[in-house]
Amino acid sequence: MNAVLSIARTTLGEAIRRRVLLVILLIALLLLVIAPGMNGLTARQSQTVLLSLILGVLQLSSAVIAIVLTVYMIPNEVERRTIYTILSKPVLRWQFLLGKYLGAVSALGLMIMLMTGTMIAVFAAFQGPNVETLASLARVAMMYFVQMCLLAAVAIFFSTFVQPVVNFFLSGGVYLVGTVFGSLFATIAESQQLPQAVRVAAQIVMLIVPNFGQYNVQNSVINSGAQIVGEGIYYTNLAVYGVVYISILLLGAMLVFDRREV
Amino acid sequence: MKWTRQGKLVNGPIYGLMLVLLLVGSFVQMNQTYPFWRKNYMPKVTDLGQLTGEQLLFAFAGFREMIAGILWVRADSFFDNGDYDSILPIIRLVTYLDPKQIDVYATGMWHIAYNFTDQENRADRRNIPIAVAFGEEGARNNDYTYELFYETGWLWYHRIQDNFPMAVTWFEQAAERKDILPARHNLLSHAKLRAGDYKGALKTWYELLEEAEKEMERNKSQRSNYAQRDTVEGNLDNLLIRLTQRGYFARENGWYDQGNYDTKPPFDVKFSASVTVTESRVMLVEGTWNVFPVGTRVKMILRDADYPNAGAAGLDWEGGDANNFSAPVGLTYVQDELFVRNRRFRKSIDLSRDPTIYPFVKDKYILEFYYTPRVAPEHIKDKFGYNGEGMTDSNFLNTEIRENQRVIYWKTEVTRDQILRRGEFGMEGVIPVFKTPNYVAPRVRNPEDDLVTPGTRRVEG
Repeated sequence: MNAVLSIARTTLGEAIRRRVLLVILLIALLLLVIAPGMNGLTARQSQTVLLSLILGVLQLSSAVIAIVLTVYMIPNEVERRTIYTILSKPVLRWQFLLGKYLGAVSALGLMIMLMTGTMIAVFAAFQGPNVETLASLARVAMMYFVQMCLLAAVAIFFSTFVQPVVNFFLSGGVYLVGTVFGSLFATIAESQQLPQAVRVAAQIVMLIVPNFGQYNVQNSVINSGAQIVGEGIYYTNLAVYGVVYISILLLGAMLVFDRREV
Repeated sequence: MKWTRQGKLVNGPIYGLMLVLLLVGSFVQMNQTYPFWRKNYMPKVTDLGQLTGEQLLFAFAGFREMIAGILWVRADSFFDNGDYDSILPIIRLVTYLDPKQIDVYATGMWHIAYNFTDQENRADRRNIPIAVAFGEEGARNNDYTYELFYETGWLWYHRIQDNFPMAVTWFEQAAERKDILPARHNLLSHAKLRAGDYKGALKTWYELLEEAEKEMERNKSQRSNYAQRDTVEGNLDNLLIRLTQRGYFARENGWYDQGNYDTKPPFDVKFSASVTVTESRVMLVEGTWNVFPVGTRVKMILRDADYPNAGAAGLDWEGGDANNFSAPVGLTYVQDELFVRNRRFRKSIDLSRDPTIYPFVKDKYILEFYYTPRVAPEHIKDKFGYNGEGMTDSNFLNTEIRENQRVIYWKTEVTRDQILRRGEFGMEGVIPVFKTPNYVAPRVRNPEDDLVTPGTRRVEG
């Protein structure tokens, strides 16, 4: 376990020093700060527009950071040959991979925390310190974090056998399928007009591809009056669902990486 | 079970574990997260063809609320420019993307039902079923709040004015929600009264009074609580007096025949009407109404003889399609109100400037005249009562087309050639005139010269 934690710590240190990530983070922070400017465009619904905008910026930036952070992680180690130094020590390959993943999600967590803090400060400054809404914002950010951990696991899995550029599009594609087409597959799976085979196929896709769309829980926060009963249990289930899929992806990544020539 | 052998992972147990995890994940998704997500968060994916590729991508990648917000901002500028047609697809898109945007539903319903009018400010009533369906959808999607139940009820109460039991149903559902504003709750009683349920209206006022007094005790510093109590008390007093004077309690207790109540004897309104098609799609409507105090509006309808779901002087306003905001093409439904002054009404109706609202493509039409005291001002109802007990007409009193009501109703058939002045009814041919047998042309031809009497005098029986 010590080996895993040491690798995670090192990965975290490397991640927060990477310029490309810092630039993305800076842009995200800048967007969050200027988001209230959108309010001038509309006389009504200023809170709805502001909330949807800042949460949108947070989610989009987090997704980009999660992918950029993880796609280069393993290939860079191989390319720079630093992996030989690590694996020559009493460190198993699965420990190395797990450490890398934990380091990545720690960095991701830090960056999301920073963005969330900025978002909450911006919202409080422009709309007043409504504790309930601020707590809801933090809750949504937490769900985004779980979503991004899942996305990072997808990227880590692919990084064990494909090149970073391909991985970038592959992971992005899975994220897209899991969010954009989640609703579409759900509709197909339930449509009585379509042939049985198509519906079964859609259901299989839904079961295999992680449904990232489920983590988009911002609606009840953006529309402040909306009340959803049982959200707490839903969040717990989502966390369980996330952990299960992350475990599957990491196990798959470990198997592939364990047998790979480096 | 061995997970590693010589420092390498063993395939079998790992695959087994992955399979178990996949089953657990699928189970959690199918039984826990997905049904909840579908119910509360999943956006609709149908009918989004109007979004561009990037918008579609953003919409489903978790930014649908943001897209909805930006689209709504765009709608604001269309409202400012008076570009009302362009607002409709935005309203539809925004509510597809984010069905929790109550303001968009409420504004959209109002916009569809009220803002589409012809050149003479008559509503395009073909749109109203769409507004009702949209309101129903909004209420379904936001059943935690009273707002859209109230707004849909308001459409029935104020815009449709023909099926008050429906208004009651919606206001009752609104009243079941805890967040309803007291002043809006009051409307339930008014709707019950217009629906003919005076006992229900009384009961609601008493309940509201009790609630208002409790609220006043609970929060003495809130001035609006006093205002609400006073409003309810005033309305309750008025209703009790009116019900007494109009003989409702007497009727209930069986002594109506012995007393001298305002609604006795029924007053003959002496309705007559004449419609002359002066030019293609232009009509001069004239008639008599023997009620001197101002405040009477006689409803006139001209519609396709086979207009879908049409009934006597009305429609089934529930048959709209909320997915399609376009008014049904090729259907004609004209509704106007004829204001009575000095016991007469006279109005020129020019439908020629709105060929898309009034296409007149069918061969046969129904022309109807209708009056119910349910929507009349109180000084008229003082005489006529809520259900028309104090009103009669030797020719056109009708007790069949509206349950438990005495209304005035006359209808006749009209052909397309007559409305368009074609064929034998061409401009050089026969002038189409439709009139009740009792119609007598007025002596005073210019209504602008008439003396207009303020509506403060009660109808004399």
